[in-house]
Amino acid sequence: MNVALGAAVTLLLWALLAPAAAAGAQSTNDIRLEDIEKEIARTVERPYSLGGFLELQPTLFGFDRDAAFHRLRFLDGDEGATAAQYDLKLRLEGSYRKGIFSLFGRADALTTQGDLDSESRINLLEGFASLKPTPGLAVDVGEKVVKWGKGYAWNPVAFVDRPKNPEDPELALEGFYVVAAQAIRSFGGPLKTVAFTAVGVPVDTDVNEELGEADHLNLAAKLYLLLFDTDLDAMLFTGGSRTTRFGFDFARNITPNFEVHGEWALITDFEQRPVDERGRPVLRVADVMSYLVGLRYLTERETTFIAEYYRNGTGFTGAQMEDFFRFVETSDATFRSTGNPTGIRRAITLAEGAYGRPNPLRSYLYLRASQKEPFDILYFTPALTSIVNVVDGSFVVIPELTYSPRTNLELRLRGAALVGEDRTEYGEKQTDYRLELRVRYYF
Amino acid sequence: MKIPLIAIAVLLAVSPAAALDGVDILKKVDANLQPESFESYRKLINVEPNGAKREYLLWTLKKGDDKIASLFLAPASEKGRGTLRLGDNMWLYIPTVGKPIRITSLQSVVGGVFNNADIMQLDYHVEYDVRAVEEQGGEYFLDLKAKSTAVAYDQLKMWVDRKRLLPIRIECYAATGLLIKTLYFKEPKAFDDGRVRPSILETDSPLYKGYRSFMVYARIKKRVVPDEVFTLDFLPRLETMR
Repeated sequence: MNVALGAAVTLLLWALLAPAAAAGAQSTNDIRLEDIEKEIARTVERPYSLGGFLELQPTLFGFDRDAAFHRLRFLDGDEGATAAQYDLKLRLEGSYRKGIFSLFGRADALTTQGDLDSESRINLLEGFASLKPTPGLAVDVGEKVVKWGKGYAWNPVAFVDRPKNPEDPELALEGFYVVAAQAIRSFGGPLKTVAFTAVGVPVDTDVNEELGEADHLNLAAKLYLLLFDTDLDAMLFTGGSRTTRFGFDFARNITPNFEVHGEWALITDFEQRPVDERGRPVLRVADVMSYLVGLRYLTERETTFIAEYYRNGTGFTGAQMEDFFRFVETSDATFRSTGNPTGIRRAITLAEGAYGRPNPLRSYLYLRASQKEPFDILYFTPALTSIVNVVDGSFVVIPELTYSPRTNLELRLRGAALVGEDRTEYGEKQTDYRLELRVRYYF
Repeated sequence: MKIPLIAIAVLLAVSPAAALDGVDILKKVDANLQPESFESYRKLINVEPNGAKREYLLWTLKKGDDKIASLFLAPASEKGRGTLRLGDNMWLYIPTVGKPIRITSLQSVVGGVFNNADIMQLDYHVEYDVRAVEEQGGEYFLDLKAKSTAVAYDQLKMWVDRKRLLPIRIECYAATGLLIKTLYFKEPKAFDDGRVRPSILETDSPLYKGYRSFMVYARIKKRVVPDEVFTLDFLPRLETMR
């Protein structure tokens, strides 16, 4: 904890007090081409690269002590109204190239110290080898994020990726172990590009086990077209680990500053086990559709608006979610009055599964407005984001200030206020608010 | 009979319309600025009113009239970011974020006075019609109008060195007539193919008072790569072409 705090204070003082650069008017006489040549030569000669960032993030959580998820999280005792947490992360990225062969790796070393948890771990996010005999043909083997879909906050067609955190969708994801082959062809005329990607995804007890049933080799494929200036993708996932699913997405600029995009996914024979208010599961099997429509609009004053509507066909209805919350309430009351933990333990298990995932219900709106460099402050971007659960009317509001005071240093101050009635998604989350400062130094 | 014909020919030869073909001048300017297909290394420098600087190193591949891809090599915070332009389509690839996202010509991936259209500039004659051309001392003046509303600047006023057929200064206007920025072409030098081109592009803008940005061309070399390099799916692999 002391090390983390010390590092935070040092970084902050350095960021705020150190001069941003040698002051003085720049003219073309100050530009030395030979220095730039030397810098280029350094990047050209090396077959490898190594970089990353060091990040410190203190976070203050304000708890909602009556919320269902708070009761499940702090069953053994009340931890108070607030808690602080300090995350220190080292991200390393490296690559190596030799001829048609290349290697890439991305890993995090993370230590968390705080009032609630203390842990350290190392995560390999990606690590794969590539063969690229021609620009139109490539094969990747290893742990890789495949990145399918056009949505900003959600990607219902990302059949072989982990879900994004819609409250922070630009965070790097951890990949799955895959064998992926890709062929690309370019053309003249309205059809400019055709690309086909085939992905083999094994699932075993120790490999990609989150994807579903073990001992299967699954196949996913995607066909991409750039047709009439529109990005079009069609996807398929099939195999024994998950039921077969089909997907389609598109993106297009209607005008230079107005983009629209969408995704559609059909998941066949999807199994859902919602519980009633007594915690009894009901198995339902059906073909379900998920889809997303969105837009991105840039105004003349450089305000960017992103809006997305997400229909989550795999999610619970409002009534099913209310039943779960009622089950938590009665199980908690039973535990506190009789000491019988059976019901509450079952509720905890359910909360660790589908009920506790981000955005577990059916309909959501994502809205974000960001203003680039207001008041002529370069490298400063304020933003306001909200995710609204359309089913129960609860929502989260996330104001954010991002500033880069000097090259390679980025500060982000962020808050989150969760608003909702009892038995609504955001009303029953364990926190009422969150305040975080992220200090990130790239190297 | 021969005399009137000769007279007409002489008249045509000396008339401004015959002497000044704006489209021809613009195409020559484009050819002199950069080869049709090439790779280049550029440094972008943003200078704030207090003298503070921010520098970016880019590697760029261009092919034909409508294909251009760039990769950020420095600073570390931007390293690995890629941009792709296919005609009016532009995408930005950020390694940790999902698929490349569509961006617009008026945005700037680096902040400062240069926007995406400046960084991923296609040949001028591809995007602009010549509305008028005239001689002004040792310079040509070209009045250019965007061919479509997808082009970043609706109108350009370009002053061209008559001898070298290279631009000296370009004023960029919005459809409303608002001056968005002025580009100054400076420090001509011989590049890898022996051609002399401006090595520094400087810009200022009444919208960013006191701020200036420089684009410094360190290397420009003819290079033709397959069309498949300029595709969305190849963008994450762009580094392998260096």
